[in-house]
Amino acid sequence: MNRLLRAFFRPTQKITATGVYTILVIAAAAMVLLGWFLPWFVGPFSEGVGFSPQDAISTAPTGIGTILLYVTGVCMLIVLLSPFVEFTLRARHRALDVRWDMVRAAASVVGLVLTVVVWILVRWINEEPLFGALPNGITTDSAVWLEMYGFGLAAITYGLKRLVLERPNVMFVVGVLPFGVLLPLMFHQAPAFVLWATQSLAIYMLLGLGLNVVVGFAGLLDLGYAAFFAIGGYACASLASPIHGVHISLWMLIFIGAAIAATFGAILGAPTLRLRGDYLAIVTLGFGEIIPDLATNNVFGLTGGPNGISGIDKPVVGSVNFGFNPQWFYWSLLFFSVVVVIMLLNMQRARIGRAWVALREDEVAAAATGINTTTTKLLAFAIGASVSGLAGAFYGAIVSIVSPDDFQFAVSIAVLSIIVLGGIGNISGVILGAFVLTFVIFWALPNLQEWSATLGHTFNVPAISGIDFTRYTFILYGAALIIMMLFRPAGLLPSRARKVELESGIESESLAAVQGRA
Amino acid sequence: MTQESVGVGPTQPLGEAPAPSPRRERKAALLVAPEGLIARHRGSGVMARTAVPAFRTTYGFISHNFPAIIMIGILASVLGVLAQGGPTLMGNQMRNALVLGAIYALIAIGYTMVYGIIELINFAHGDVFTLSGFYAFLIADHFGINKLAASSGFGLLVALVVIFAVSMLLAGITGVLIERVAYRRLRDAPRLAPLITAIGVSFLIEGFMLAFFGPDNVTTHQASWINGNAFTLGAVAVRWTDLFVLGMALVLMFALGAFVTRTRLGKAMRSTAQDRQAALICGININRTIATTFFIGSALAAAGAIIYSINYGSLKWNLGFHVGIIAFTAAVLGGIGNIVGAGIGGFLIGMIYVFGGSLAGGAWSESLIFAILVLILTFRPVGLFGVDVASRS
Amino acid sequence: MTALLELDSVTKQFGGLLAVSSVSFSIGEREIISMIGPNGAGKTTAFNCVTGLFPLTRGDIRLDGHSLGGLPPHRILRLGIARTFQNIRLFSYMTAVDNVMVGAHWWMKARVWDGALTTPRSRREEHAVEQRALELLDLLGLANYAGNYARELPYGLQRRLEIARALATRPRLLLLDEPAAGLNPQEKNELMALIARLRGEGLTVFLIEHDMRVVMGISDRIVVLDHGEKIAEGSPAEVRENPRVVEAYLGSGASQEMRSA
Repeated sequence: MNRLLRAFFRPTQKITATGVYTILVIAAAAMVLLGWFLPWFVGPFSEGVGFSPQDAISTAPTGIGTILLYVTGVCMLIVLLSPFVEFTLRARHRALDVRWDMVRAAASVVGLVLTVVVWILVRWINEEPLFGALPNGITTDSAVWLEMYGFGLAAITYGLKRLVLERPNVMFVVGVLPFGVLLPLMFHQAPAFVLWATQSLAIYMLLGLGLNVVVGFAGLLDLGYAAFFAIGGYACASLASPIHGVHISLWMLIFIGAAIAATFGAILGAPTLRLRGDYLAIVTLGFGEIIPDLATNNVFGLTGGPNGISGIDKPVVGSVNFGFNPQWFYWSLLFFSVVVVIMLLNMQRARIGRAWVALREDEVAAAATGINTTTTKLLAFAIGASVSGLAGAFYGAIVSIVSPDDFQFAVSIAVLSIIVLGGIGNISGVILGAFVLTFVIFWALPNLQEWSATLGHTFNVPAISGIDFTRYTFILYGAALIIMMLFRPAGLLPSRARKVELESGIESESLAAVQGRA
Repeated sequence: MTQESVGVGPTQPLGEAPAPSPRRERKAALLVAPEGLIARHRGSGVMARTAVPAFRTTYGFISHNFPAIIMIGILASVLGVLAQGGPTLMGNQMRNALVLGAIYALIAIGYTMVYGIIELINFAHGDVFTLSGFYAFLIADHFGINKLAASSGFGLLVALVVIFAVSMLLAGITGVLIERVAYRRLRDAPRLAPLITAIGVSFLIEGFMLAFFGPDNVTTHQASWINGNAFTLGAVAVRWTDLFVLGMALVLMFALGAFVTRTRLGKAMRSTAQDRQAALICGININRTIATTFFIGSALAAAGAIIYSINYGSLKWNLGFHVGIIAFTAAVLGGIGNIVGAGIGGFLIGMIYVFGGSLAGGAWSESLIFAILVLILTFRPVGLFGVDVASRS
Repeated sequence: MTALLELDSVTKQFGGLLAVSSVSFSIGEREIISMIGPNGAGKTTAFNCVTGLFPLTRGDIRLDGHSLGGLPPHRILRLGIARTFQNIRLFSYMTAVDNVMVGAHWWMKARVWDGALTTPRSRREEHAVEQRALELLDLLGLANYAGNYARELPYGLQRRLEIARALATRPRLLLLDEPAAGLNPQEKNELMALIARLRGEGLTVFLIEHDMRVVMGISDRIVVLDHGEKIAEGSPAEVRENPRVVEAYLGSGASQEMRSA
């Protein structure tokens, strides 16, 4: 048995990428912590108060409840603190003993089991003798969900550490996808959060995936990506709203939008074919400004001018009207994101993906190896744009109005920040980047304002309550871009090639070989 | 050694002989794919044969005649305005174009100098412009400069000297600081890394200005410093402000020209721009030279910002983005890296902006500039005065 | 022997500089022909003209009697002219096998959607191409490096990888730009054997080389360029005795080397 465990927890010979491991460990700790604090966060200030398992346990009289509290507490502390310990050690180039992985995995499992037990007892059996009565109206499950997910993630990450290190992308999906799928259920009592997840997270994730094709795969810096988003959004809005009296189903429109955006991607990409990298960036930026300008000026009477197009149809599937609950949009978007991710991964590994990388690495050599640089670049633009056309179609349907303001330069930069933050060229990185950036910009900042207002009100500090945190959006974009480029240009989760580029000492060796020639 | 002695054994292993794999035993592996040796049918070559030369000819023609096309366009729009509103409108617009052009020229020089020396599109330059406008605004409001300027003619002179000197100094320091913190580390990185960083710096500065000065227009009081009309030309009233703006811009540009051609530091700048390695070998302090470039470029942007304030009387946090891109277009028009070209490009862009906008409707003037930017980068990236690449080959 | 490639008074001018001036010669099928000349003689420029990287100023280049003028590089490659580069231009952050598979790009039939959906056709083809790429790597002695990034390979192997990539494009004519540069004598021998074997399998080889031992050892014919002009053409023996060639190489060491080779 011991030998079996040892084999299972055997340290990896060669750690290829610690990025995903780090992210998962931090995510697990953050979820556990959030699960603990969420009720306090929400509790004092507003309705919809929840409980954490700790709260539930602490209401237990004495005896078994106290023991449970201590045990969960210890498990929690282990999950919370072990990343700190590990990273401190790693910074000093020392590894944590393998036994600790077992301990941590066991603690996570215990924590998970206890949380589930407590939750079942409280929620379903409502066992009075064991636990004291919880105050009425306290029914937020999100804390419990978060805590369960955090413990579960920790159990998987520590328990299957080797797998996480060796197959980081697979494990990233294993760790993240259930969270993505369950999100609307976990946060069903926080509709604002689900709405955020739909119109910010999911949309920007799609945009990031699309831009990643252009910037990450083909190496063409596109600063006007919002233009294609706008084209998709406007095309679908005008085909599903009263403005022209056309009403086409969203499920058709996403393909129409993608096709139109792809066409424009190729058309607008054409003038950039002969340009150097930085000029290409500026030309795309020019297009990114011209397109919203055209929309503002109501070109050909198609776009509704500065007010945009409103009253966009909400899809109805059977008895489900998507307008009533964003979760349906969310799941549809998630489904399409998964499809897009699978297709992009396939493409990356296939003929076209190799051609893109070859083009990025050395355009002359690529041309001399039989790659048609023109069509390959245009394909990158078209495929990248088609994804944003898809996103644009959904965006219009979700917010039911599109206007030129939705497609400003800041949108292009937000998407660029996402892929720079996450890791240029790496799809897992883009997903992570989309989550982190949209969480901070579109969820934390607006809510910080609300929280600080309540805080300022409660403690009578007017200085705090007046801060408009959304004004710091631009500072955050800027800081993200600068810090990432200066200190970790390959992003939080670098792609394999970029990782080698950064960390290998190979350059000197091959240089020596070159000098050997002289 | 002759050919016979080399040995043409068909399966002679190369290098450290790899262990024979089952695949190789199955069939005699060939280096040359037999399919390849057949003469290929050229079918689709017809398309390439006709389309590519036709494209090249057209492209080459437009590329070669781009300066003429731009000039004809400008002339046509001037004449268009003349036809539309008579000499009064044209005169007024010409005055506006010159004033605007002076501002763009001052900013464009900053772009062109930085690009010339480190091949970086300093995206943050437009925001340094706005930021230095706010510097001037704060100084004028908080140190009684506004009152001084309003007191007397001499007071105005002192106020102008102080405000220009201090703001330009502060802006220069800002520019040097940006270079030191954000760009220096990336000097040898792939070209796109510093560009992305520059965008980051741009957003950072815009973000700070948004946080401090709010999302709305901020009224500066410099607009009331210089009053009255100098003279009237026909029905066109030329204000003192206009003369001041133009004069100031020209003086600064000539001063810069003298600096770059006459002084040692200027020569160091030019040599660094041409070949950084060689300059380093010649004992030029590269870091100091680049810092100087940023200092001068930012200081000129500050001058442009004060002129802007005096002329238009308001600033906004994101002003620098659009002004910056327009000025960048001017720099590209004049041939990026070419300081004189940037000056001329600024005035040309001013004309395009005002006259083109006047004809097409003000809502289109920015689209027009962006279109020019796209066209010029596509057809003639070297600018109006640069060497024509197409005719060289 | 029918002419595979014909250069007909090929001229390439950069501004005032005449890099290649009215050079004419032809290459027969299954021939090994070398181009030599001092540095800056315009050899690589001639290569770039043949492969379509530089448009010609004057003159014409014909493959099988069809003009290549105005064709873009990828199309010229697809007609059967593959090349390697003097300063190795591999795709540094692609694995060796991927580098070779890029060579197969143009004749692969899978479309974008095949790749996106991983259709059976795409999967079969990918597999076949990968097998072929591994086979080529194997034949060039690179089998052990298939999974390494190109930049991780030692210099000599990078040169071979470039040849493997060129061979994957199914060429009829292979242009090698200084293939022996930086190789040790052992590797040079292997290179010569390789070139001979390529010809044995039906390929035509056109190379630029400075190493006289290699040039004299394998070439059927030699073309000598100096200052962009062709100053001599003929068999190794003829070229060796040509006074203009010896003069062009001024340094007596070079002519010495030519005689002794």
